[in-house]
Amino acid sequence: MPFLKEKVEDIVKCMKCGNCQEMCPVYIITKKEARVARGRIRLIKAVMNNEIELTDGVQESLLTCLQCDACRITCPPGVPVNDLLLEAKAQMLAQGKALPENQNKVRTSIKGESNPFAQPQKERGAWLPPELRQPKPAEYLLHAGCSISYAQSRIGKAVIRILERAGVNFTLMGDLEECCGDPLFRMGAREEAEKQVARNKEAWKKLGIKYVITPCAGCFKAFKEHYSDEFSPLHVVQLFAQLIKEGSLKFEKPFKKKVIYFDGCDIGRHGQVYEEPREVLRAVPELQLMDFPKNRENSVCCGGPLLGSYPDLAKKIAADRVREAARLGAEILAVACPTCLLNLKEGAKDLDVRIDIQDLNGILIRAL
Amino acid sequence: MQSSKNLENVLEKIKTLVGSDYYSDSLEDRLCYSYDATIAEYMPDAIVFPGTPEQIAQIMKWANEYNIPIIPRGAGTGLSGGSVPVKGGIVLCLSRLDRILEINEADFFAIVETGVITQKLNEEVAKRGLMYPPDPSSMKTSTIGGNVAENAGGLRGLKYGVTKDYVMGMEVVTPTGEIINTGTRTVKTATGYNMTQLFTGSEGTLGIITKVIFKLVPAPEHKESVFAVFNDMNQAAQTVADIIKSGVVPATLEFLDHITINAVEDFKKIGLPREADAILLIETDGVREAAMKEIARVEEICKKNQAAKIQKARSEAERETIWQARRSALSALARVRPTTILEDATVPRSRIPDMVRGVNEIAKKYNIQIGNFGHAGDGNLHPTILTDERDKEEFGRVEKAIEEIFDLALRLDGTISGEHGIGSTKARFMVKEVGKEGVEIMKKVKDALDPNGILNPGKMFL
Repeated sequence: MPFLKEKVEDIVKCMKCGNCQEMCPVYIITKKEARVARGRIRLIKAVMNNEIELTDGVQESLLTCLQCDACRITCPPGVPVNDLLLEAKAQMLAQGKALPENQNKVRTSIKGESNPFAQPQKERGAWLPPELRQPKPAEYLLHAGCSISYAQSRIGKAVIRILERAGVNFTLMGDLEECCGDPLFRMGAREEAEKQVARNKEAWKKLGIKYVITPCAGCFKAFKEHYSDEFSPLHVVQLFAQLIKEGSLKFEKPFKKKVIYFDGCDIGRHGQVYEEPREVLRAVPELQLMDFPKNRENSVCCGGPLLGSYPDLAKKIAADRVREAARLGAEILAVACPTCLLNLKEGAKDLDVRIDIQDLNGILIRAL
Repeated sequence: MQSSKNLENVLEKIKTLVGSDYYSDSLEDRLCYSYDATIAEYMPDAIVFPGTPEQIAQIMKWANEYNIPIIPRGAGTGLSGGSVPVKGGIVLCLSRLDRILEINEADFFAIVETGVITQKLNEEVAKRGLMYPPDPSSMKTSTIGGNVAENAGGLRGLKYGVTKDYVMGMEVVTPTGEIINTGTRTVKTATGYNMTQLFTGSEGTLGIITKVIFKLVPAPEHKESVFAVFNDMNQAAQTVADIIKSGVVPATLEFLDHITINAVEDFKKIGLPREADAILLIETDGVREAAMKEIARVEEICKKNQAAKIQKARSEAERETIWQARRSALSALARVRPTTILEDATVPRSRIPDMVRGVNEIAKKYNIQIGNFGHAGDGNLHPTILTDERDKEEFGRVEKAIEEIFDLALRLDGTISGEHGIGSTKARFMVKEVGKEGVEIMKKVKDALDPNGILNPGKMFL
């Protein structure tokens, strides 16, 4: 089947102006045309027109794309680059192009244990108090996500404290929680991803869940894209903002720090949630909120999506963000995404700057 | 076509010289360096990222010895095919030469390596209250080297001039591999031929520029913006003429035609009046009182010429909205059809109404869509053809229309390119403007500097 033939109208839109170079973190570091949207689109076209096979070089060009979609913002004809990349990956896989080893591991792991880290499913709820390890019927389902369940449970614990303080009636799937499917969509394993989606929807329907809330920006994005026909997805900050307005959530303790909020791509450009994190942080007494000059839909990716496959590149990209935050005079770099948290911390290592990188929820519980 | 034994030899030497991290001859990279921002595409044999002028000089020596074309490149965002390897050869990408070497606040100059992105220079000098005025729309991605080689323009051209007006000197690697320095750090110089201005705008055919000394000016303290709607193009054109005659030199004086206005409204919905024949966007800057007095004069003139609506920005946010309309013109037009071709035929300011009318007639004649917008203040419009290059029949009509647009501009005492350069895309039309003798003289200069014809062949008249 001709590669990406059905996307040809999107592909020909590219006018090769090169505006994408302005926004692409991978291009900014590498300065290589095969590492920016314009080059990637040219290679996709080349495969489509049989100018080149689906080589490792072509694959690498596509795999080094953060899929942050920042390029689409300055693209005059608005080429939907992220959509194209997702489709390209699915077709690469379907055509038998082998995935890099680390991605294969993730795929196998999700298939077997429903998380990307090859950790046992039955230990998934181990971070929770016993009464929350099994689901019960409720309006709100708190979906912790794989990252928080197995590697960053502090974030999950902070969220639970805030929800309990605000009196929200919520449940968790606990030991039965499964991967949202996003890593599988990302690598082009669509069928398996859709299976995950179906399993989750099935399980949640049984509990009468209306709202799925999550502190994981990647899950939030997946929920918006694949689950919102049957459930209402919210990033936890959206619920917090609502609760603050209603008066059920209040921050009493002062937190006198200069905090710069970083718009991660999954919650921001993909999830379209920009204001609620800011509203929530502004509700904290004495917190001085700052923005990056390039913020909201212009925010520059932290590099997190490449953490697994291209860690050096991911680290360099993150280092740029951390350096910039420090240069702007921030004391804390606040994020609403566990991948941003992990990758920015990586990027901060070996840097000679004094700035603390924190999850937003961790800041909020200090002010409760 | 170069002999493959020769090519292999020289590629090996170059790879060793720059290091394998900065060399590629993979098919993937060759595809990625076959184009710029036009529809022109030609495959190079290799791509090299030199780190120093000395490496470039050595490469040029070998290129002469083995007769291999060398094509200098910045960001590859040019609008005339200037960095496209028409005869194959080696794309020499200058992106690693990306340092701002000096910003001299006492003597108002900056020394910059040519791989620096223009916006970066802007930002750095702005921190010191200075300004590097040339502001091509590509400045967030295009490099100094590309700007200087093409004599890039921009919106501020009317008041502040274009790139050539700011180049005081440069370091150049000649086609035969010498490194020379031209110009000075002084405001004036009368020493020898003006080589600086020879290389400026030479589109990478006479030398590879590696450093530039730029003149800087103080940043204006205040800006004012006005937006005026006209139901008749002629009134807008008269307004432009009257503004200039009145002694006001706006920093920017831009124009959007009926098609562009509607495209912008379809795209951004900012409330532009769809029935308008033309919109003018004017900005004055300078000392506060002067900028304000000038904009008041501009408003009067718009009124005198029956502007249907005049709106002055009352805040920074309102200024932003006004300029959004201009900045999104190209994006808006680019969304209408799959292929967008941006031209920049330029005429004397007073001939703008004839130019706009003429372009509209050409569009009708060939049954194609052309939006027109641009720098009305200096006559540099951007007729933008909206088409689909896959439709061979329509594209044939587009090519004929483009040629007629050039003829039209020349008939109106204009030029076929105001700021994008000739490159490969307009090469065959150059003789229409400069004549046979003009071409001959240029060829003499080219042959003197590049006897083997290896530097960026296939561009301009070559």
